[in-house]
Amino acid sequence: MGATLDRELKKGNAELLILALLEEKARHGYEIGKLIAERSEGIVRFHVASLYPLLYRLERRGWVKGEWEPAGGRRRRFYRLTATGRKTLANQRIRWRAFSGAVNRIAEVRHA
Amino acid sequence: MPDWKKIVGEKLGCLPLNNGRQEDVIEELAQQLESAYEDALAQGMNEQEAICRGLAQFKDWEKLRSEVFQSVEGTQLPVWEQNGISAPRRLPVWIALAVALAFLLLPSFRKVLQVLPLSSQRDAWDTSAFSADALRRIERSGDKGKYARTLAYVALHNPDDQQAVLAAEKAIALDPQLAWISARVSHANYLIPGYDPKPWINRLKAWDRDNAYVYLLEAGASVHQDWEKRWAKFTPLNGELRRALVQDPSWRIAMEKAFSAPRFEIYSDRQFLLERGVLLERGLDRPDKLMLAAASVQFPDFTLVKMYADYLRLEVGESEEKKGHPENALAAYQSVASFGQKLQADSTPMEFQHTFSATLRKDAYDKMIPLLRREGRHGEAAVVESALAAVRAEEFGGRKLFERLQRSPAYRSGQIILVCGLSLILFALAAALWFACVALLSVEPNLSRAMNWLGSHLGWAPVLLPLSSLCLFISFFPYSRSISEYSAAEDLFATFGSLYAGVGSLRLDPILDVWIDHMFWPLLWCAVMLLLGALCLRLIAWSRHTDQSGVQ
Repeated sequence: MGATLDRELKKGNAELLILALLEEKARHGYEIGKLIAERSEGIVRFHVASLYPLLYRLERRGWVKGEWEPAGGRRRRFYRLTATGRKTLANQRIRWRAFSGAVNRIAEVRHA
Repeated sequence: MPDWKKIVGEKLGCLPLNNGRQEDVIEELAQQLESAYEDALAQGMNEQEAICRGLAQFKDWEKLRSEVFQSVEGTQLPVWEQNGISAPRRLPVWIALAVALAFLLLPSFRKVLQVLPLSSQRDAWDTSAFSADALRRIERSGDKGKYARTLAYVALHNPDDQQAVLAAEKAIALDPQLAWISARVSHANYLIPGYDPKPWINRLKAWDRDNAYVYLLEAGASVHQDWEKRWAKFTPLNGELRRALVQDPSWRIAMEKAFSAPRFEIYSDRQFLLERGVLLERGLDRPDKLMLAAASVQFPDFTLVKMYADYLRLEVGESEEKKGHPENALAAYQSVASFGQKLQADSTPMEFQHTFSATLRKDAYDKMIPLLRREGRHGEAAVVESALAAVRAEEFGGRKLFERLQRSPAYRSGQIILVCGLSLILFALAAALWFACVALLSVEPNLSRAMNWLGSHLGWAPVLLPLSSLCLFISFFPYSRSISEYSAAEDLFATFGSLYAGVGSLRLDPILDVWIDHMFWPLLWCAVMLLLGALCLRLIAWSRHTDQSGVQ
């Protein structure tokens, strides 16, 4: 049950996490994976086999754009947010705040 | 350092992406592995451990390949590019399909498919085996006996009554010993306008005048020929119809002859032997057909028999008792009991004839016992009482018949066969759909996304098909006997009958009769209308979208 819930939560919010990381600056896939693990202090980890298909899906939808750029003496494919991606991120953030706020209000309420 | 690009290229295999994206994807995934490898080395791992850590990031390359394609192209990987366990590129899938088809070579397997309740028409008739051409070929062969037997089968089972009558004429002309088929022809053709059953009954009477059955058919013919006209005004509930019938000499005399005839035989043994022989001669070694044929024995109208028995008991017997003629009353009761015994002695496998016989005897004995006691004939009364006890035991056995049937192992085997058969049908339909999609996509890979989806998702069907075929074959195998091994209808009903009842325990008739036979065209019409409606909505949505785009 717990594992399933984790999986569902991760699946539902994976797009939000990637879009949020790309809001700051353009990043490549390896960096995105590492950043998610680091910033969540290991609680959220993306399986690499899921990360790349997700990035390609976001690119197909026009939310991110990938381009080859030189980095550290080699070519890297960097992803950056598009205008549509920014709008989507804003919408997803609003939904997430509403949802997490609602869950917090229920889970943290104390009855007198 | 390993050549990560080469490794990824080999592991991923062909990835038919448009616009040269394959190279991009391979390079990007190779960089992911390389970065992981470098990190591992930086953490102090040796070369081999670092390579393992790099490779461990992608465990299922086929799944990755499929997901990458779907993400980039927005559609499923073409079915002929897939490498999964049930992909059409895999030889085992085709071997499984071939094995499933090879089951059709086994006669037992073909036999069990025929037993499954797949058709709403389940009878002894077979249009192709008894077609006009087939009959002509038999006639030309010069084997008169075989031709006569086949015609007799046609007379007994052809659903076209006119054809049945013609076949019966020819069969009896060729072999007068087949005169007994007149019983079926005389009795089953009242719906033919202007049909007169009497010549057939007279022919049967001339051939077998000691048989009560013939006279019951005669009595039935005198009533049924004009049932609506003469008898519909009488109610059967208070004996009104019975009293009216007794007034009709043609009916009463025929009944008197039936009750006084030395024996009762509905020719079930002769019919079974003829049907078994003809089915074997026509290459139809099918116990289901033989059972349905044997079950179609022409019974006389037992309602009329009951009315005449009630007349003897309630009118003749009671009135003779009142008149003080106990011997006459006993004779009337005994006549009913004797007729019941004759019914019981007949070898028909049909339980209801024996149940009816028991009812007649019980009713007669119930009248005889008090009369014999009143007459002081206690010895005879005791004999009748013991006969009554035996009849009650028979009745009890009859009531338990269906329960016995359900408890038999053959009935349960029948239910297993039904489940296996239904799964086989499901898998066979899915495999046929899969095959059609895969075959069309092999010619034109981009023909349809829906077809590609079906081809990808129905790949399990050809793999499961031989398994369900095997289960069906194994569950039927113990019952897979040739019809030549059944010596009598009773033997067939006792073993194969239970199995057949188990297979038919799920009633598919409403689906087959109503939905397939009657609702097919209405459903097709609804589907076409639905499709047109959906197309119209799509067109409306498209035109609105175009208008809005134009405004912007």
